[in-house]
Amino acid sequence: MIKIENLTKKYLKQTVLDIDSIDIPLGQTFGLIGNNGAGKTTLFSCLLDLIKPTKGKVINNDVDVSKSEDWKSFTTAFLDETFLIGYLMPEEYFYFIGELRGLNKKEVDSFLAQFEDFFHGEILGGKKYLRDLSKGNQKKAGVIAALIGEPKVVILDEPFANLDPTTQIRLKSIVKDMSKNKDVTVLVSSHDIQDVTEVCERIVLLEKGRVIKDLVTSPETLKELESYFKGE
Amino acid sequence: MFKRMFGLQWKEFNRGKAAGGKLIAKILKWFGIVYFAFMSFMMGLIASKYGGPSMTFPIEEGTTAPFLYLNKQLIYVFAYLIVMRYFIQSLPVLNIRALLLAPVLKTQIVRFSLLKTVFTYFNILPLFFLIPFSFLLAKSGNYDITGLIFWNINIIGIIYVTNFFNFLLNNKDKLLYGVGATLALIKALEFYSVIDFTIYSEQFFYLFYNAPYATCFTWLLVFWLYGYVKKYFLKGLYLDKGLQLKIAEAKIDDFSFLDRFGKTATFIKNDLRLLKRSKRARTAVYMGIGFLFYGLIFASQEDLYSDLAGGSFALGMSFFGYLFSTGGFLFMFGSFVPSWDSQYYPLMMTQKILYKEYLNSKWSLMIIGTVISTILASFIYSFFGTNAVYAVLAGAFYNIGVNGYLTLWAGAYTKSPIDLNSSANAFGDKKAINAKTLLVGFPQMLLPVLVYYFTSQYYDHLTGCLAVAGLGTLGIFLKPVAFNLIMKAYKTEKYSTLKAYKTN
Repeated sequence: MIKIENLTKKYLKQTVLDIDSIDIPLGQTFGLIGNNGAGKTTLFSCLLDLIKPTKGKVINNDVDVSKSEDWKSFTTAFLDETFLIGYLMPEEYFYFIGELRGLNKKEVDSFLAQFEDFFHGEILGGKKYLRDLSKGNQKKAGVIAALIGEPKVVILDEPFANLDPTTQIRLKSIVKDMSKNKDVTVLVSSHDIQDVTEVCERIVLLEKGRVIKDLVTSPETLKELESYFKGE
Repeated sequence: MFKRMFGLQWKEFNRGKAAGGKLIAKILKWFGIVYFAFMSFMMGLIASKYGGPSMTFPIEEGTTAPFLYLNKQLIYVFAYLIVMRYFIQSLPVLNIRALLLAPVLKTQIVRFSLLKTVFTYFNILPLFFLIPFSFLLAKSGNYDITGLIFWNINIIGIIYVTNFFNFLLNNKDKLLYGVGATLALIKALEFYSVIDFTIYSEQFFYLFYNAPYATCFTWLLVFWLYGYVKKYFLKGLYLDKGLQLKIAEAKIDDFSFLDRFGKTATFIKNDLRLLKRSKRARTAVYMGIGFLFYGLIFASQEDLYSDLAGGSFALGMSFFGYLFSTGGFLFMFGSFVPSWDSQYYPLMMTQKILYKEYLNSKWSLMIIGTVISTILASFIYSFFGTNAVYAVLAGAFYNIGVNGYLTLWAGAYTKSPIDLNSSANAFGDKKAINAKTLLVGFPQMLLPVLVYYFTSQYYDHLTGCLAVAGLGTLGIFLKPVAFNLIMKAYKTEKYSTLKAYKTN
């Protein structure tokens, strides 16, 4: 589904990303882990054509993302709050995203109905604009908006950070449900090795822009990652 | 400590996201500053020679008419100064939260922020008028020099009263509505000639010339106001007081009646919400309304300008004014496409959005604004005769057919992020549109004015109007070509725009 080939990004002389090749098949739940500055967000930004790589390319479902914009019709993402429109109410935001992806109000409403638990009564029907919601609630709205319109590729940057425990657990089960669906490729990044090992089928460890480990998740994965980050 | 805070400010200015690569904006800003300073200076020179409402030139020997006339008008000068300050002057922004826990006295933080405003050009610009004006009056020998000096000191004092008053206006809504209502009332009473405020204005300001010691009271007021504002902000330096976000109760705005316009409507709906809900964006609308009357400045002075530089020059100046009258909203809103969307530009860039649809929706909104402005402006300027209406319409065609594209195109290169949610600032600065915005439009205005000026000089007024309107019509037919060029600019600028908008 997604092919990353010889991808490098340099700022001045500093290389922040240098990946030979990663191939993510359709339906895989793919986890990215690494310390600050490992290049996780830079990689996602390259996948979404928000940053132009110095060299190399990203092929998303046979589309070179820097050459054509066709990938936008089946790819969605929530990286940070720059994916939210602050002056809209959550409902208006969902409808807006829905309209862009060809869904009418009713279809968006029925899609949102399944997340009633997840929203916990704090998103819909409130009297606040997105800009006035707490960071956690903003993230809830953003992540769910990224699921509207049956995307084939969903990219989430640190979706579990800054969420309250209940929401974390519920979001993990949403991601796990998606990974059962073999038509959706999910890419998730995280700082928390427990989180990624719990939800991802495959984990790639980045360090200073390079792939250090590429693991299929197994019961030993957690230990392996732990010992790496301990510096053993 | 003062020095250190100044250092912080300097670093913010130099290293802020907006600092790099904005040479054109800087040049325009300085162009504007010099332009206004020059205009003030010339006004000072000219005004000292004219004799009051009838504007007789030159004035008779031994008369004090220009001074008295100015005193009459000063009440309006200060009223406009208050309004302009409220909409344009940006209040000091200091990263207060970071300083709260630092070993800095809170009074120092506030004092620094307030005193920084002493040298804004709103306070300096009037000097360009006052100095030549007073100097020429003094030279004429008809005036008492001590009186003039104290009169000047008093005027400067009142300028500073408005400076500190502006802080309160930005923070106290009740005061804002009160002042707004008072100004509207004054204007209405004057318009319907119930009370002639100019008589009182003349008496009041003449007092400071006649009795120099009265100036003390003005300066006492300045210091009192400074102290009051300082205390007011000092009280607000808590997270749950002045530094707190004001949260407005949200209501859904359903613009589904627009849905028949397809994809374009999707974006227009959002832009309407933006204009409604963001103070910053609303300012664009207010400025557009304000610009409707810009032509009055020139149209009402046509006789004066034609005395000075000939009839076609006067008509050219009026034409310049009319162009702004119909294009005010277009510039105020259009100059900030795509900056209005700067906070969520990454979202826009990852959605299935065609640049064409996106730009078309912005363009449509600008054109709707221009059409409404044109209807209102034709009505306002119909009092100056049919020729004025022709000029207004010609200007409107040009704005729609040419300036709409130019503004959008320039937007691709502007790249100054707009913080729509910046209501959390301690000094109540909602980052209203700053003076720079006003200046982007000037160069775009030169071409049509020149076209009009030369054709109307060789032929007549109507031909001049037709020539400009013709250019506009041509532009309307060339829309697909223009849009292709604009789209290319947006595409090539995509990555650097994203980078410039990135705030974290």
